[in-house]
Amino acid sequence: MKNYLIFLLLISFYSCKEEEVEFSVNNCKRNPVFINSMGFNPTKSFLSTSDEKIMGLVLIESEMPGNPQAKRLKVSQHPSWTKAGWLAPILISEKGDIYTAPAPFINILNNPIANNNTIYKVDNSSGEMKEYLKLPFADSINTENPFGIIGMAYLCETQTLYVSTVAGSKRNEENGHIYAINTETGKVIDEVKNTDAMGLGISYMRGKRELYFGTGRNSDVAYIEVNSKGKFVGSPKFALTIAGLGPRGDDKVRKLRADQFGNLVLHGMEFSYNLIPPREKQETIYQFRFNEEQEKWEYSGN
Amino acid sequence: MLTHFQKMKLIVATNRLIGVCMLIISALGCKNSGNSSASTTLYKEDAINSVLADTIDMSGFPFIQERESRIAQALQSPLPVLLSGDSLSTNQSLAQIIAVNDSLFTKFIYNPSTHQPYRSEIFGVYPARQSDMGGVKTAYNLASSYRVEMYNYPLNITSIALVDIQQKKVLQSYYLASTQPDISLSLKNLAIKIAVESEIVQTALGVKPTEKDALMASTLTSLNRSKCERSRHLCVAPTFVKGDKALWAIVDLTDHRLVGIRWTNVGNSGPAAPMITERRLQDDKITSCFCEVEQKLSKNGWDLKYMLTSSDGLRVSDVTFNKKPVIRSAKLVDWHVSYSGTDGFGYSDAVGCPYFSQAAVVAWEIPKIVELKDNADRTIGFVVEQTYRSEGWPEACNYNYRQRYEFYNDGKFRVSCASIGRGCGNTGTYRPVFRIAFANEQSNFYQWNNGNWEQWQKEKWNEQMATSTYTPEGYMYKIGSTNNGFFIEPGKGQFGDGGRGDFSYLYVTKHFADKQEGENDLPTIGPCCNVDYHQGPEKFIEPQPDDIQNSSLVVWYVSQLRNDDRKGNEYCWAENILDKGVWTTKVYPCFAGPMFIPVSK
Repeated sequence: MKNYLIFLLLISFYSCKEEEVEFSVNNCKRNPVFINSMGFNPTKSFLSTSDEKIMGLVLIESEMPGNPQAKRLKVSQHPSWTKAGWLAPILISEKGDIYTAPAPFINILNNPIANNNTIYKVDNSSGEMKEYLKLPFADSINTENPFGIIGMAYLCETQTLYVSTVAGSKRNEENGHIYAINTETGKVIDEVKNTDAMGLGISYMRGKRELYFGTGRNSDVAYIEVNSKGKFVGSPKFALTIAGLGPRGDDKVRKLRADQFGNLVLHGMEFSYNLIPPREKQETIYQFRFNEEQEKWEYSGN
Repeated sequence: MLTHFQKMKLIVATNRLIGVCMLIISALGCKNSGNSSASTTLYKEDAINSVLADTIDMSGFPFIQERESRIAQALQSPLPVLLSGDSLSTNQSLAQIIAVNDSLFTKFIYNPSTHQPYRSEIFGVYPARQSDMGGVKTAYNLASSYRVEMYNYPLNITSIALVDIQQKKVLQSYYLASTQPDISLSLKNLAIKIAVESEIVQTALGVKPTEKDALMASTLTSLNRSKCERSRHLCVAPTFVKGDKALWAIVDLTDHRLVGIRWTNVGNSGPAAPMITERRLQDDKITSCFCEVEQKLSKNGWDLKYMLTSSDGLRVSDVTFNKKPVIRSAKLVDWHVSYSGTDGFGYSDAVGCPYFSQAAVVAWEIPKIVELKDNADRTIGFVVEQTYRSEGWPEACNYNYRQRYEFYNDGKFRVSCASIGRGCGNTGTYRPVFRIAFANEQSNFYQWNNGNWEQWQKEKWNEQMATSTYTPEGYMYKIGSTNNGFFIEPGKGQFGDGGRGDFSYLYVTKHFADKQEGENDLPTIGPCCNVDYHQGPEKFIEPQPDDIQNSSLVVWYVSQLRNDDRKGNEYCWAENILDKGVWTTKVYPCFAGPMFIPVSK
């Protein structure tokens, strides 16, 4: 019973080939049943897509989850977890189902570009990973951009999965999308076009449901309001920028979440739509708090 | 005066270019000169017209020599700290002396392993503010307290001491990692001098600017507006305004050189100009001039086009010699890196453009065109060379590759490349995959076998082994027709570039105009860790090899280069050494690749 509260989904802090699901205001994730049935201790286990030597999704039991140097007690993979190649985002729903998507690692040998816009779902009970939804591919699919889906967020109250993809984007054409998917029906219910979004996160800070996202083209974070059905309202607006901040000054926001106080915690790193391995990139965390008087986000440090 | 490139060559420990030396003749391509380019591109003009100054050496200027002399003296002194070059008051000087004699403040001035001094310099001595004193636990007099800031160049850290000169003691010391303090007035003046004395800046402005023209980065805000993220050096950007444009001159104060220049628009409205940094300068220049457009080169009887690809390195195409077609295209498809210490562990790297590419190791510099000279200093040809680097090289699991095309005045040419380490360990084997498509539509292929040329009838591969036989000249293969072809001489350590032999696989496939077998940009074609001929090109041979007689042929060439980190035997390796108090990389490249010699010779 307590397991789903304490099951940790932790990964190392350095890779962009990973997604950490945090407990926060918009947190409803539940521990997948298969964790126990595979004989793992949920209090010490985590799922990862960032292991450089193990392709796909991997379940790891560690002496100290959250510490990349800690001894691994058990490592296991369901046979289906490698079939989509290298993966990146991981997202767990309130049912314990896991949503994930392929992302190339160093090369595209195991990640054909044609498969970059496919969402996979790991069944809460059996642990089997199956293709869930093939998102539409832009007509302009090209080989110079090896990426597709790079961000996911989940709105618990509407059971809506938000997925960002940059598939088909080119140097001089921003062809990315943010899709809203009803997880009950498995159908796309709305989309934002011509937007390359990276990390996605939900915030209620302005008293509304808002989907925040880091933009792939620069260091800005934008947001778009979401209604009670999970659909988008209006068009994206500028929220804040991390341009000039941090050791590099031109980081892109690859991961984004609202903490328990409503602050936005942003993970920034270099991103130029190439396959430089994540381990070669430094990541910096930026925190922003909302100034309610001035109605704007203010940088509050690293 | 040595160019930067020549200096780089001088520290190559195994650079044995016997009979061949290299001189930079010009930095071609989008001119790299600050003048307008004729290239048509979607890229912004300011990126195209920016200039990378990586070959400019300023060590001959007296003010640089004076600076380096001060550094050398400081490094030899018992307390190896370069004191502030600014005019300090008596109290500031006293605070500085108290600080540098404090063992906590100077905790990082030596390399703990070798006890060699790091270059450390006092950047500023300021009256302390109340806000500085939050961590001070002892009594102090604010009026007699100073904040002393010291920068450690190789570690890129700032040490701060709060000193009370009345008590003659350090109240508190602490360190800020990856932080650079405000630069001193003397460093500010040095940066301006480097900029104004640079011919590149003078050419861009059309006049030699005065030092007053430089709107110098004297505040933290200005300092933040330029970074050398890749070299991790201390960089600032003196800026010159001319009309409605501003010329950014990025100056490296660690190496005392100009990194490059770029114009930006100045205006009171519209979005703020983007921050111009080392990486942005490099990536935008490379992308706008060599990834989006093909460059032409005519030299010494050779005519060719060249450009950087998404994942196949620097490609040359439509290569002719004395107007006779030689190569349709040549490129470096993959680097397969395997580590024998762990089964199946390694990487399959592609090299190419920095933005929107499938490259894992990207180009940092523009292609270099350099002269080839023999021992008698006669020009015997030229080289087109491209370098690719990981950000953290030469740290572990970071890579540096070099790709080189040599074109000789007598019609010979060589396709070669090198790994310069350092990779993930000392058990690595590098297998670069070259694809060379010949222009001759009626070629045949032959292999030398115990005194005879044996023709290959069908697509095939062969391995260069200890038992392989060569002609007296060292040739192993021949391609072409009777009087229009090339002998192929694999590397056996004879080319004088430090290479120790190619141990190569060579594949020959037939070119079909209606099949995609690599004429366009190829994704990674092989895995990291196969130790046999399964390096990727065999996909275009098996299972049914085509007849290759009198055909348009493609040669694939895969060398096998085992790295070595043993002292005196280093190969495909690199290591950081402290030189003048800062990190310098000593490189041990492992060049490989075949020479193609015209049959008529």
